[in-house]
Amino acid sequence: MDLLPQLLVNGIISGTLLAIPAIGFTAIFAVLRFPNFSVASHATIGAFAGYAANVWLGLPAAPALIAAFLVAALVGLVSDEVALKPLRPYGALTAAIASIALTIVLENMVRFGFGNDLRGYDLPLVRDWRIAGVRVGPQQVQNFALALGIMAAVFAALKFTRIGKAMRAVADNPTLAELKGIDPVWVGRLTVFMAMGLVGAGGMLLGLGTSIDPLTGFRFILPIFAAAVVGGLGSIPGAALGAMVVGVGEELSILVLSPSYKSAVGFIAIILVLAFRPRGLLGERAY
Amino acid sequence: MTRLSRRLFLGATAATLASPAALRAQTDAIKLGSLTPLTGVGGAYGPSMRDAIAGVIEQVNEAGGVLGSQIELVSEDTQTSPEAAVRAARKLIDVDGVSAIMGTWASSVTTAVAPLAWESKTMLLCVSGADSITQLPHQGFICRTQPNSKLQIRVAGDFMVEEGATQMAWIGPQTPFAASSIEILGEMAAANGAGMESLIYEADKSTYRSEVDQILRAPPDFIMLGGYAADSTVLLRDIWQAGYDGKIIGPAYAVNNTVLEALPADVTEGVFTWEGAPAIDSGAYGNIQAILGVDDVDPYSAQTYDHASLAILAMAAAGDASGDAIRANIRAISQGDGQVVESAVDGLAALDGGINYSGASGPCDFDEIGDITGTQFVFKQISGSGASEYKRA
Repeated sequence: MDLLPQLLVNGIISGTLLAIPAIGFTAIFAVLRFPNFSVASHATIGAFAGYAANVWLGLPAAPALIAAFLVAALVGLVSDEVALKPLRPYGALTAAIASIALTIVLENMVRFGFGNDLRGYDLPLVRDWRIAGVRVGPQQVQNFALALGIMAAVFAALKFTRIGKAMRAVADNPTLAELKGIDPVWVGRLTVFMAMGLVGAGGMLLGLGTSIDPLTGFRFILPIFAAAVVGGLGSIPGAALGAMVVGVGEELSILVLSPSYKSAVGFIAIILVLAFRPRGLLGERAY
Repeated sequence: MTRLSRRLFLGATAATLASPAALRAQTDAIKLGSLTPLTGVGGAYGPSMRDAIAGVIEQVNEAGGVLGSQIELVSEDTQTSPEAAVRAARKLIDVDGVSAIMGTWASSVTTAVAPLAWESKTMLLCVSGADSITQLPHQGFICRTQPNSKLQIRVAGDFMVEEGATQMAWIGPQTPFAASSIEILGEMAAANGAGMESLIYEADKSTYRSEVDQILRAPPDFIMLGGYAADSTVLLRDIWQAGYDGKIIGPAYAVNNTVLEALPADVTEGVFTWEGAPAIDSGAYGNIQAILGVDDVDPYSAQTYDHASLAILAMAAAGDASGDAIRANIRAISQGDGQVVESAVDGLAALDGGINYSGASGPCDFDEIGDITGTQFVFKQISGSGASEYKRA
């Protein structure tokens, strides 16, 4: 039990980082009504775009994060227009399966361009601080702050901007929104752009403390999906809460389970939520 | 419309029935299969492992082929995944009809492919280390050029004891050799009065902070890493950030150049690696250097160079290109009193007088269950951005 405070800190930090791509995933579900599993490759693309900005152009982490956002957002927009949008009229399942195919294609394009090798960001590495017996890394603190900043920006945008309000309107009731003069196609595009941007930024944040390779995003697809389901598919605050549950749950699980079963926490969370509260902790209202 | 469909159907049926004959007509070329990890965690090795096999085959074809035929290489990708590897192996066996599959890398992949190989009487030459592989009921259809993990762990455990370990730790993912590694290291620690802790984690995670917190509680003074490159990168960074300043050793396939490039030099400074040492002074090693056009050949490409040479020489000795012929003759050409040869081309020329193939990875002598014997090991220590030889065993 002496590990408990340390595990809680580790869990809160990893949950916060996980929340960014989970918000992107759930936002797409809220507006376009299908689970877009290509978030895996978009997280990878964001991580590599951030890598290129950081290592090749010598930018610090925060501007590199903007590059990660923009590149993943643009790739997301184009690939959605080309591959997923034409299939959406055939149902959510068709679009979901197409998104899995898309993620394989995009992942291999990254592999084609960057190769299979592991790559690390060009950031100063320092030993962790120890505060009251709990260790925490300066890089972790920075990532945590960046993730909180991004989340604050997302919530502010949804609440106060016209675009944010239009997104919420389409998510709540697309027909009514269209009657009010909101073009659902453009709102869909904007959502994909913003959401895949968040996923890309999240991919880079998750990769910052470690190394990246073409499978980086794929490793997070289960926790991202679990976070969205636990919080309530389509609910943006739910995704943030769900990410925290999954992140803290995974770390605390090693007190009772062998660490080799960490991923089981995501599955267990999905099963519990589907069994007892199928709409997720916060329901499916977008905001 | 119906008539056309029926005609088409009849035509297609006739074509299908005729196709075995067509396939027979093409079997002039002898087919060998390369099944290496072109992608996935082994992706750093697979391409050059395949190129090594292709290089041997090209040399043999230029010298006139074997058994009066040219050899054709069919290459597939395991994706370092057992499921993908089984699909690829099925294709190599059922569609291409290869007589040997060479170069399976991860132990989980080799274990999955092995039953397909022995059931179809296809020779399987692998570079995997898990002990369980050669204990499978493979009837001689598996040989490996990689020392088994028991031997590898014993050699490394001895090294840890010699370097003064008093509290050992093993940390690695769930693999076919995780349990036996922990068991062997635990016995060695107990025999030498040292403590021992172990932790099996889940592969493919982006951080192991909590796992590191747990393993460092003992606290250890010598940690052995049991994973592959991707997780070892994460782990080394986490261990360093946690303030650990004891010794670390990891297999060279896990703490490899890509790991050194991905991590700052501070993190990897002083880390030991160990591996089966390629026979760097041999003619075979010079040949594979020339084939790949590099100075430093990784141990797996050296091993697949040997796989291709062994398979070709065994076929030639048998006078038959089947997998069964390779199985029956592989020891006849790789060990014994014959003339020592270091390439397939030299071996084919000297075959009549009896040969003993000695390769780029070592002497290539196999025991009765297909394990390699007589391998040398090299320990290296990382300093700056490279590893330099520390000692040999």
